[in-house]
Amino acid sequence: MDSRVKILLLIAYFVAIFLVSNFWGFAVAGAFIVLAILFARVPVISVLKSVKSILFLVLFTVILNLFFYSGEYKVIYWQVGDFIQITDSSVIFSAFMALRLTMLVMGSSLLTLTTTPVELTDGIESLLSPLKVIKFPVHELALIMSIALRFIPTLADETERIICAQKARGGDFESGGIAKRAKAMIPILIPLLVSSFRRAEELGDAMDARCYSGSKGRTRYKKMKIGYRDVIATVLVAVVIFLIVYFNKIFVGII
Amino acid sequence: MRIICKDLSFSYEPKKKNTAYALENVSLTIEEGEFFGIIGHTGSGKSTFIQHLNALVPLQSGELLVGEFDLDTKNKQYKKNLKALRSKVGMVFQYPEYQLFAESVFEDVAFGLKNFYPELSLKQIEQKVKYAIELVGLNYYQIKDKSPFDLSGGQKRRVAIAGVLVTDPEILVMDEPVAGLDPVGKKELMDLLHSFKKGNKTVIIVSHDMDEVCENCSRIAIMQGGKVVKVGKPSEVFTELPDENLELPVVARLKNALKTKGVEIDCKLESDDFIEEIVKKYKERNGR
Repeated sequence: MDSRVKILLLIAYFVAIFLVSNFWGFAVAGAFIVLAILFARVPVISVLKSVKSILFLVLFTVILNLFFYSGEYKVIYWQVGDFIQITDSSVIFSAFMALRLTMLVMGSSLLTLTTTPVELTDGIESLLSPLKVIKFPVHELALIMSIALRFIPTLADETERIICAQKARGGDFESGGIAKRAKAMIPILIPLLVSSFRRAEELGDAMDARCYSGSKGRTRYKKMKIGYRDVIATVLVAVVIFLIVYFNKIFVGII
Repeated sequence: MRIICKDLSFSYEPKKKNTAYALENVSLTIEEGEFFGIIGHTGSGKSTFIQHLNALVPLQSGELLVGEFDLDTKNKQYKKNLKALRSKVGMVFQYPEYQLFAESVFEDVAFGLKNFYPELSLKQIEQKVKYAIELVGLNYYQIKDKSPFDLSGGQKRRVAIAGVLVTDPEILVMDEPVAGLDPVGKKELMDLLHSFKKGNKTVIIVSHDMDEVCENCSRIAIMQGGKVVKVGKPSEVFTELPDENLELPVVARLKNALKTKGVEIDCKLESDDFIEEIVKKYKERNGR
């Protein structure tokens, strides 16, 4: 699929998720994302892994909403003081939040799992290209993004190595209070900063040496083309949004 | 301090099925006072092995004794011993100049010292830092207050090495110590290692430069695919090609070439005695 279409559809999907106001809507959106994951032939485990990584956030919001949600309610299950209470609406609202977050993450992980960083930045560049009219440096922005993505593993390796070297010199990063630990980070952060400046300079020189001159007259290795899959996916997302809005209308109330 | 290593295996993804092993059943004993070389090409496990010596990676299976320290993580003393172990085993990583961080050379060199021996007085620290900086061949008074980032590449590396030598380790481990140095710098660094070794200390270098290892080390281990394939003196190890990715040192190649021409040279493969032996052979032949 075209990465531009994927990005736009993801945004549409996000909007759809926020439009949902009852469980029928979630059922539609959930069925859609599960189908999409299956059709994309993405290993389900990797999607679950990214959901797992926000599990803490989900739990956190659920617990907060469970106790502090202050909408209209019919039944109070449990109450301490004036503000802390579990009501029927707070239970439903926190379930909504959990579903929303999980589905958002499932959608975005589907995008990142099926799209290479290069495709992604190319897509963003192409989508933002109308901004060129107001002299917004679209190409440069895309370049910055792809360089940043490219250097994440390199910097991770570098960090690992510096930590090893300072540990070998008796650096202690695992004990002590927050202040002590923050101070212990200095011997890691400074070499890391220095080496990223060095790398940036080297990269700039290498690009100059290969006559890089920005976006002007630059062609692409991979041309982006909209194919039949993109059309099908767009239609599907449109149907999903329609159904959600429709269900919002006919099932008034939460369930 | 003696290093005894038995059946050491290590994998970076131990939970994975059919995982690739960075080290596989490595058994090796390094005696006190040796100048030991570990060679092998990229991915042969040499870096992983030396990181074990400093407990920078936890022991997965096998045994590892460094002096009196047992590096078994189940050992109750393990956590307590870590600092003492690391003060005894000095580790210089590849491109050590990238680990410099402090405002002045003095502070950077003193970093390890202050970590390992917080009880030292300022005077004692000064004394030790001065000793270490002079040991690596730099002028203490000229350099101590400079920022490490203002130094030249060679000076930075020396300062970084001084930062390890300052704690007076019993074992010095160096990963590719001469990478990126010019020939003079290489020679000076090797001389430094030899003079450091004189106090009956162990020096372990990791390298893929056969000539460098052959010339300097008293014993060598060749690693390949996480295994130690050969251990011994240079003359024992460098008889034939252990691996098509490695090349024999120049001296060994010359020796083998001469052998095919019918000239047997009996030497220990250290360049000086090789030359002496050739001169001797030559005189013998002409005398006849």
